[in-house]
Amino acid sequence: MPYTSEHDEIPNPLRAGLRAESIPEPCAVVIFGATGDLAHRKLVPALYNLAVTGHLPAAFGIVGMAKSELAQHDFVRGMRESVGKFSRTKPIDAEIWADFANGMRYVSGSFDDPNAFARLRAALEELDKSRGTRGNRLFYFATPPSAFPTLLKQLKGAGLINPPNDSRFTRVVIEKPFGHDLASGRALNRLVLETCDERQVFRIDHYLGKETVQNLLVFRFANSIFEPIWNRRFVDHVQITACEDLGVEGRARYYEEAGILRDMIQNHVLQLLCLTSMEPPVAFDADAVREEKTKVLRAVEAFETPEQVARNVVLGQYTAGSIGGKDVPGYHEEKDVAPDSRTPTFVGLRLSVRSWRWDGVPFYLRSGKRMPKRATEIAVHFQPLPHSLFGEGATQPNELVIRVQPEEGIALRFSAKVPGERYRPRTVSMDFRYGSTFGAVAPEAYERLLLDAMRGDQTLFTRRDEVEAAWKIADSILKVTESPESPPPNPYRAGTWGPPEADQLLAQDGRAWRRL
Amino acid sequence: MEAVVSENFGEPISAGAAPRTGDSGELVLRFDSGFDLGRIERLLQETRERGGRAPESVCTLNLIAVYFNEQQYEKARAALEMAGTIHPSRLIVMIGDAPVEQESLTVRASVVRSGGAITLERLVLSATGRAVRHLESAMTNLLRPDLPRVVVFGGRPHGDLMKRAVEMADRIVIDSGARPPGYLAETASLLAKGAPIGDLAWARIFPWQALAADTLDLPNLREHRGNIRKARVVCAGAVGAEGLLLLGWLQSRIKRLEIQIQAEGEPEPEDTGTATPRAAPMGLGQVKLLELTAPPATFTLRRDKGILYADVKGDDDGYCANRVRLPADTPGRLLALELNLLYGVDELYAQAAQAAARLLPQVPR
Repeated sequence: MPYTSEHDEIPNPLRAGLRAESIPEPCAVVIFGATGDLAHRKLVPALYNLAVTGHLPAAFGIVGMAKSELAQHDFVRGMRESVGKFSRTKPIDAEIWADFANGMRYVSGSFDDPNAFARLRAALEELDKSRGTRGNRLFYFATPPSAFPTLLKQLKGAGLINPPNDSRFTRVVIEKPFGHDLASGRALNRLVLETCDERQVFRIDHYLGKETVQNLLVFRFANSIFEPIWNRRFVDHVQITACEDLGVEGRARYYEEAGILRDMIQNHVLQLLCLTSMEPPVAFDADAVREEKTKVLRAVEAFETPEQVARNVVLGQYTAGSIGGKDVPGYHEEKDVAPDSRTPTFVGLRLSVRSWRWDGVPFYLRSGKRMPKRATEIAVHFQPLPHSLFGEGATQPNELVIRVQPEEGIALRFSAKVPGERYRPRTVSMDFRYGSTFGAVAPEAYERLLLDAMRGDQTLFTRRDEVEAAWKIADSILKVTESPESPPPNPYRAGTWGPPEADQLLAQDGRAWRRL
Repeated sequence: MEAVVSENFGEPISAGAAPRTGDSGELVLRFDSGFDLGRIERLLQETRERGGRAPESVCTLNLIAVYFNEQQYEKARAALEMAGTIHPSRLIVMIGDAPVEQESLTVRASVVRSGGAITLERLVLSATGRAVRHLESAMTNLLRPDLPRVVVFGGRPHGDLMKRAVEMADRIVIDSGARPPGYLAETASLLAKGAPIGDLAWARIFPWQALAADTLDLPNLREHRGNIRKARVVCAGAVGAEGLLLLGWLQSRIKRLEIQIQAEGEPEPEDTGTATPRAAPMGLGQVKLLELTAPPATFTLRRDKGILYADVKGDDDGYCANRVRLPADTPGRLLALELNLLYGVDELYAQAAQAAARLLPQVPR
């Protein structure tokens, strides 16, 4: 039966107020790069968990495609091993796995080879018949970005991209990095949109799939007490930290090209900044939420001169040190890192959001590898008291800390009277911990995002203009720091919180990084 | 306390629970006349401190469960424990066995630890004979202050005890599916007065609702959205509350809907001995088929073992538009779902229950 958009205007009488989550339409997920780490560690375990939790349609299939010559049963066996190792639900449920594995297909071939895509098409049509996937396709690009243009061209050539208003959906999920800079990000967007409609494109940032990141929206827009103080009149500054204790862990080739600004700031950290500082959307839907996030990125003041970058940005690169009581090598000693590499592994920076709400409130962002521990958080520091009744320096300004990982939760720090002492205040913490307040195990970020992509919900995916606005900010730093005249990144010992220059960045404003 | 109803419709609020006996971590106190609340608090503290210093106790709600004999509680015990751990609680179970002549009062205290914290504090207050009169006042004093109160009510949806539960609770969870469908009228009248009732029978039909709504969202089927004329529900063995609630929901959503309900076949036998959780077997009165007629199309949602199928027939031969796996029936799953709402009235349920109550005269005897 042909689908015409006029029927969209007839509201679904059964949808309003339902508490049950909707189940995606029957579909096949095609994973390009199916023999890679992402497919084995994240994507297939996430899809299996969706089957376990009853979120997948029973009419479902997976087609893996990669260069490696693999028999189908070897592909399935490899995936079973990976699911056994990386799935959050264990042990594997034999009955669910059997049904899940029955829907798996593998197509080997080069992405340059049109015949391989003819085989892919045949595999999908066979799934339509045997599993009832009904022509709905979700193409997941779990490949290096260099493969994206070829994949898009081949999909189009093989007639595998349906128009956006076809009754059989075609969606494309694209992994970061979405470009290397503003120019390449724009070029990639143009290329993608020559093949697909924006409604069919799902640019994934797995940070947005984390429960605690989504909770930021609920925390801000489902509570009335924080909104009145969430602005320049009450907030002194905001610190956003995304640190890890790991080094480059076998990803040095990618990391040498990317560095911390492309790997973390342009996407994950700026997304956290957006969710912290955006205005309330007019509705909780993909367009409204993404519109407000994009406005924030447009309001962030990009750097125009090398002097501005020097004043507001500190880069670092780790040297050998000790983490958790063990020796770890310096960045230059890592495999596949050039001996004279200037790739930054740490950044501390100060950004300004030029908006009615945030003008004059600095946002300090830091992200680094080989830090003392893994920690991602947003700390909102409120203004100090105008006058202290309990003596100079007796009280600390209030802080609201949203812990994204680990120990996900929210803490509010405020002053309380020390018992027995005569009006001596001390900072105490009111602590909400996700793990203990909600006993249910939260789904992995990829589960949430794959499910949303299958449902066609783009709220947690980035939009074209959003990606480009984020690149504009990152680019204004990169064009200075990657110029030959720029000084090399400041060294810091692995297991410390970055170079001393990062402390100076805040010290010159009379502030300090939070001790984590 | 009132007597419990059990007319082949299963035990109240069993929610997929398996019977469990014995718990080495439980401490017990017996009283001759009236409870001593101080001693109960000390008993609870002792259970917290067993095996060393007490870890932090996390508590997000007071969960109060009401049963009328020990067997009912034992049947529901695993479900309460699981739901009360997913939503960390102080669980106070009241077991009032009034028909027993001899008076007795017993308190059992235990805790559940998970993730380095105590996530469930459990007090089971049992009374027999005339001593059941002490249960309610003791329970009131043992509630954690400033936390929502959710009552899991294992009796009929009327009577003094239910009335008092309505007055003191932020939410009351019942299971209409555990009783003959005629009791939906009582529930509907309480809902009409604003009683914050949640119902496991309602949670049991969520997958049917989702599949019906999802099917009408399929791009090539959207044109039928405005044209649904008739709904027919078939229940297993006897017409049950789930079927009536499903029809009530449809009738409250779609104007001028012709409805029909009937019973066919038998319920599925109890599932025993499976190593991994599966969808609960289709119990007496539960829904096995929903048919929506939207000429020229007919949508048939049917249950076959653990899978729901949505078949569509129109001008052509028909096809399966969608199928979904029913969720595995782990203990407490439905109760935990209901505990996601801690306050207020679920408007959709209230409308569905009231519409379902109006259908009762049409239920075949």
